[in-house]
Amino acid sequence: MLRRRNLLTTLLIALPWALLLTLWHQYPTTRYLSLLRKETDENVTSKALLNGTSALKEEGLPSCIRQQQSIGATPKVIQNYVYSRPPPWSDTLPTIFVITPTYTRPVQKAELTRLANTFLHVQNLHWVVVEDSPRRTNLVSNLLEKAGLNFTHLNVETPKSLKLGLSWIPSHTPRGTLQRNLGLHWLRDSFSNTAPPEGVVYFADDDNTYSLELFEEMRYTRRVSVWPVAFVGGLRYESPKVSPAGKVVGWKTVFDPNRPFAIDMAGFAISIKLILEKPQASFKLEGVKGGYQETSLLKDLVTMDGLEPKAANCTKMQSPFSAVPAQRLKSRMDVGASEDPFWHIMKPELQYSSCELQWFNDESCRKSTNMDLSA
Amino acid sequence: MRVKLKNVFIVYFVVSLVGLLCALLQLGQPCDCSQQLRAERRRGRDRDRLLAELRSGGARGEPRAQGGGRTLPTIYVVTPTYARPVQKAELVRLSQTLLHVRALHWVVVEDAAAPTALVGGLLAGSGVPFTHLNVETPPERRRRPGDPPWLRPRGVEQRNRALQWLRETRAPGESGVVYFADDDNTYSLRLFEEMRSTRRVAVWPVGLVGGLRFERPLVAGGRVVGFHTAWKPERPFPLDMAGFAVGLPLLLARPAARFDPQAERGYLESSLLGGLVSPAELEPKADNCTQVLVWHTRTEKPKLRQEEQLQREGRGSDPHIEV
Repeated sequence: MLRRRNLLTTLLIALPWALLLTLWHQYPTTRYLSLLRKETDENVTSKALLNGTSALKEEGLPSCIRQQQSIGATPKVIQNYVYSRPPPWSDTLPTIFVITPTYTRPVQKAELTRLANTFLHVQNLHWVVVEDSPRRTNLVSNLLEKAGLNFTHLNVETPKSLKLGLSWIPSHTPRGTLQRNLGLHWLRDSFSNTAPPEGVVYFADDDNTYSLELFEEMRYTRRVSVWPVAFVGGLRYESPKVSPAGKVVGWKTVFDPNRPFAIDMAGFAISIKLILEKPQASFKLEGVKGGYQETSLLKDLVTMDGLEPKAANCTKMQSPFSAVPAQRLKSRMDVGASEDPFWHIMKPELQYSSCELQWFNDESCRKSTNMDLSA
Repeated sequence: MRVKLKNVFIVYFVVSLVGLLCALLQLGQPCDCSQQLRAERRRGRDRDRLLAELRSGGARGEPRAQGGGRTLPTIYVVTPTYARPVQKAELVRLSQTLLHVRALHWVVVEDAAAPTALVGGLLAGSGVPFTHLNVETPPERRRRPGDPPWLRPRGVEQRNRALQWLRETRAPGESGVVYFADDDNTYSLRLFEEMRSTRRVAVWPVGLVGGLRFERPLVAGGRVVGFHTAWKPERPFPLDMAGFAVGLPLLLARPAARFDPQAERGYLESSLLGGLVSPAELEPKADNCTQVLVWHTRTEKPKLRQEEQLQREGRGSDPHIEV
């Protein structure tokens, strides 16, 4: 009995001291080790400490070690190489909202890549890409994420009945109408009419070429601004006719110059304020004659004398503002093409390019080529 | 209280309990880790500065020195071009891509008797470091109006002129990469970073060419063992012009290597590469040639029927407005 009591007593005496000593042991060791290994091998330091105190529970560790672990841990490495960034966003510059309808075809990625490379030079640009597809595709999503631009990715599918049959002349088929309208709808949803942002809306198709000066010309649009467009309507360029007073009085076009707005989709920009003021203005689908799509939108927004001519009263073209001919993929595969609803419409042009595929039959190639070029 | 052992023990226990409690309370207090914090903050600042440098360096096409003071190898982009309605549009679009690439020098060679104001003005305003050359294709090799574009190899004399310029003006030890970029293709920005590490000749896939979705070299064990192509696969180098880049030192070391104007259709690339490397020595890029970073796009000829009609009537568009 006495022995057990002695043992108990000894234990009770020794225990608090043992605990205290072990705990106190940590503090000076921590400080000492950290002082020695300041710059290098924080990880090793933490590991050594951990090894030494493995008996203890985690909450027994002084907070200093915990801090050290988080400090000494390997910094997070950014694996995605950033190839380019747009100029930093400015709070004072009006935003340019670019609405681009797009659809799946072999050149889609190439066209969007090229367009992104252009837009990366423009400050305060927000790219609204609207796909003609039932779902947002991975191709476009990944491209937009990697591009580095501010973007909005939408999609709406054009019903098959609208794609075919409206007009057999390719240039007059209103393509991208639903997509552009969805872009406008998103803008009206995102911004309120009571506090409209400073900005402008531009409809940029993915197969055109845009100069950088164009965006600076359109940025300060008050209502609707217009400028010349190259390679459209069978001409070197189409442009608005501007009076010496600086007002638009007509249209220098050959194709139906009596249209209320004889201008190409790439030839005008609308201020956001105006879009939000007139929520019913959108591109019409029904009863739109070839070449009147732009009119169907603009007539609800502005009259001809309200237009603002840009590019030095529409006389300057420092660079072509738009090359309308689409970048046709020369070596387009027939397999892919047959799924494209526009294939049969575009066949006259593509006879040239399908020839490239027929490496074997040179004679037939030469014949069909001569036919095409002399037309 | 009497000094009894029991009392001593009681006092001792109380004191040690109090001491223990103090020690436990001390656990929650912050310790002096200022040294480590300072060091970490300094490392974080250096990292942020490096990232900002990399980002800003990519935004404009200025040559930037990498950390350590070494300069990047310059990419010499050789673009032959010729006058046609869409020439300006193509060059503008290409310049907008090239402007993003650091340490790039654009060598534009016109198929013309003299440098034109259109191209000169465009290059000067583009912001890309450039050299403007010109050499006219001899009449017997020129494409006639009825010929399809693939009948005769185009741009041969122009590319050779660029090679000549490089050999005349670049120092033998200079690092650099030479890439033949036609003005109607589409290039992603990543392509230029992939080709920058070229030692001899680097290759990668090209999209939408040769009647296929893409043509590419086949890679096994980090080396090129074959080519995926459908058109004339018996060629020694069944590549497209946009699918390879040559290291500048190699070009300077082989002054005889050039494009052969007499080469058969499709053998133009082989006529140059045959004198430089063997297929086994090609360096595959773009993730062992599994990524398409360049597309062989073509531009449709614009329909200028109404323009021609007006010109016949003497009412053509103002020629002073450059298009």
